[in-house]
Amino acid sequence: MTFWEKIQNIDRRWIYMIVALCIIVPLLIPFNSKTYVTEPTVNLYKKIDSFSDKEDKAILLSFSHDASTMAELFPMEVSILRHCFERNIKVFLICFSPPSAPLMAYALNVAKEDYPDLESGVDYCNFGYKPYGLFLPIVLGMGDDVGEAVDTDADGRKVKNLEIMKGIRNYDDLNLIIDFAASAAVFSWITYARVRFGANVAAGVTAVMAADNYPYLQSGQLVGMLAGLKGAAEYEKLVDVFAAYEDEQYSDGRNFSQEVIKNTWVPIMKKTISYTSGETNVQTDVELPYKFKQARIGMNAQSIAHIMIIVFIIIGNIGYFLSRKNKNEV
Amino acid sequence: MFEILSNIVAALLTLFIFSFLYKDNPFYRFAEHLLVGVTMGYAIPLVYTNAFIPFVYQPIFLEGQYWLIIPSILGILYIFRFTKNLSWLSRYPIAFGMGIVGMGVPMSMHSSVLVQMRNAMRPIDNINTLIIFLGTVTILLYFYFSKPHKGLYGKFTNIGIWFMMVGFGASFGYTVMARISLLIGRIQFLLGDFLGLIK
Amino acid sequence: MKRQIPLIIVIGLGFIFVAHTFIPSRTSQDFYDWWVSWSKAISPFAVVLGILSLFMVHGTKIQRKAPNWQYSVVTLLAVFVTAFVGFVWGTDEGTPFLWLFKNVQMPMSATMFSLLAFYIASAAYKAFRAKSPQATVLLVAAFIVMLGQVPLGAAISRWIPEASQWILNVPNLAAKRGIATGVGLGATATSLKILLGIERTYLGSD
Repeated sequence: MTFWEKIQNIDRRWIYMIVALCIIVPLLIPFNSKTYVTEPTVNLYKKIDSFSDKEDKAILLSFSHDASTMAELFPMEVSILRHCFERNIKVFLICFSPPSAPLMAYALNVAKEDYPDLESGVDYCNFGYKPYGLFLPIVLGMGDDVGEAVDTDADGRKVKNLEIMKGIRNYDDLNLIIDFAASAAVFSWITYARVRFGANVAAGVTAVMAADNYPYLQSGQLVGMLAGLKGAAEYEKLVDVFAAYEDEQYSDGRNFSQEVIKNTWVPIMKKTISYTSGETNVQTDVELPYKFKQARIGMNAQSIAHIMIIVFIIIGNIGYFLSRKNKNEV
Repeated sequence: MFEILSNIVAALLTLFIFSFLYKDNPFYRFAEHLLVGVTMGYAIPLVYTNAFIPFVYQPIFLEGQYWLIIPSILGILYIFRFTKNLSWLSRYPIAFGMGIVGMGVPMSMHSSVLVQMRNAMRPIDNINTLIIFLGTVTILLYFYFSKPHKGLYGKFTNIGIWFMMVGFGASFGYTVMARISLLIGRIQFLLGDFLGLIK
Repeated sequence: MKRQIPLIIVIGLGFIFVAHTFIPSRTSQDFYDWWVSWSKAISPFAVVLGILSLFMVHGTKIQRKAPNWQYSVVTLLAVFVTAFVGFVWGTDEGTPFLWLFKNVQMPMSATMFSLLAFYIASAAYKAFRAKSPQATVLLVAAFIVMLGQVPLGAAISRWIPEASQWILNVPNLAAKRGIATGVGLGATATSLKILLGIERTYLGSD
């Protein structure tokens, strides 16, 4: 048996071992890396950002996935919530399947830890789990009156009496729906909320679904899209560079600019900053909380794993063609 | 302490499932069956509190909307699905729910066909719009089987196959990314939340 | 008659809803509201179907002492314990019910899907062969998209993420639009067939 034939018939468990190592090592030895930001992410960021500080605009996050795809979707949910909280944007959350309910509460709790002043029912509101039988009645009902259609929130309060509802009546105000899913769930929103009421719809999807959505991005049926862990990493970066950016000149974050994004380098690792307090020069280490850079750290491992897959395919093909050639010669 | 204990449980069950990679074993089977049970058990109280209480119990017994007893009986007919002679009764609740398809026809036709067709007919003003137009038309013709794919027509529909291969390649690339991301999530849990090795 | 009456219900309701979509009126809205309230009352019973089916499969296994019947006991016990805990202590934050979800259901279902990473790597090594020009194009497109998504690709050359975006925005868009339009037409045709009573498989066999 030649070397290439041996390598062709290698036990699959050796391959599994290499896969595990290619992910464990880059996670244990983290490094800074640049995130290339794509248009669908930027479009979604800009749309959400345009609602900043507006009393009569809000966004709705619809959670349509279970724990199995949390690795991809959870970081995007947290960073979109962080964006809303930084920019004072009203945000609602809803889900129509039982396993999504605790994931929704979890994402909300993780994101709001850093914003102790925010109040449920004033700055954000979790509508909670609604049985799937109510999907159509709620989606269509919100076209007339959100408070009436949703009825009660996760805490059992009447939605229409909440302070957050001031200025929010129907899809004219609740103008953007973002659906997080590992399926084509977002199309139900496009079919009913967009066709009938012209609501803006965006998707946060697992990478498996992403390539299929490009026709809908071009047609404007989707205003933006976050695709898998990469989309989450891009959004984390945008929030860092603009919404959560703070210095003397921009105490409230800064507006999106293509120029800034091109020239800004966001280290995800610890960095030392120095500033003057009174007369003393202080040097201190600052580090972004793990939850706000989770996707970017994951993307480091993703880099190595993609190279590994490409190398696997190439070696597999070399082995296949060489052994076929040998067979032909015999 | 309690959190550490919880993490140990989660980590052990995670490892039980990973053990399948070595070979099928009792730990994996235990975890697999536990998962099915917990998932089903999880849905029962949620459906009870979020659907049965507000839509059946409250309106009928507390608000006196006795006419809702009829759809409740219709719902109970689902159970006859498992009987030999009366399984036809379970068709009634299914048929009642299926009626909404009437609303879906015009709306999904609009969102998934008409809007896409309109955008496929955009003015061809650069090379990219030309490529998109060519790709869409050749693929649609490729799926039209009433005319044999021969001669010039066959060559034309053949272009569609090349476009589809690029599309499948893009989907494959994205799928690899998705699968790896899910594993990264689990390893981040094991190394970070459980062992505290990622800061 | 066992089939005809349900079919008449589907066709009747279906056409009323088609009319409601095109010509919404007070009457059709009232009818729709009535349909919603009935659907809501029917909905909780569908879950009984799932529970019964699970119990029948695993109950039979235990009864017949089929190979590995012990695992069926695990499944049924898990259903009972989880549901019991949810009924007794509630389903809110901080209850044993949510503890079970977070530390048992969540990690296991996430791990189950993460196994796919290993399988796709193994398939990449053993099965993805550039046997024809078309398969080669597929693999090259996949390589560019894979590299274009990760920071390393951008570090190698700025051209890689841009090429990846071009593939997604142009040829991929064309391919997916062609396929999606076909699927959309097919789905509409199936819905129409249900509406007209031609497609009946959802009612089950006699």
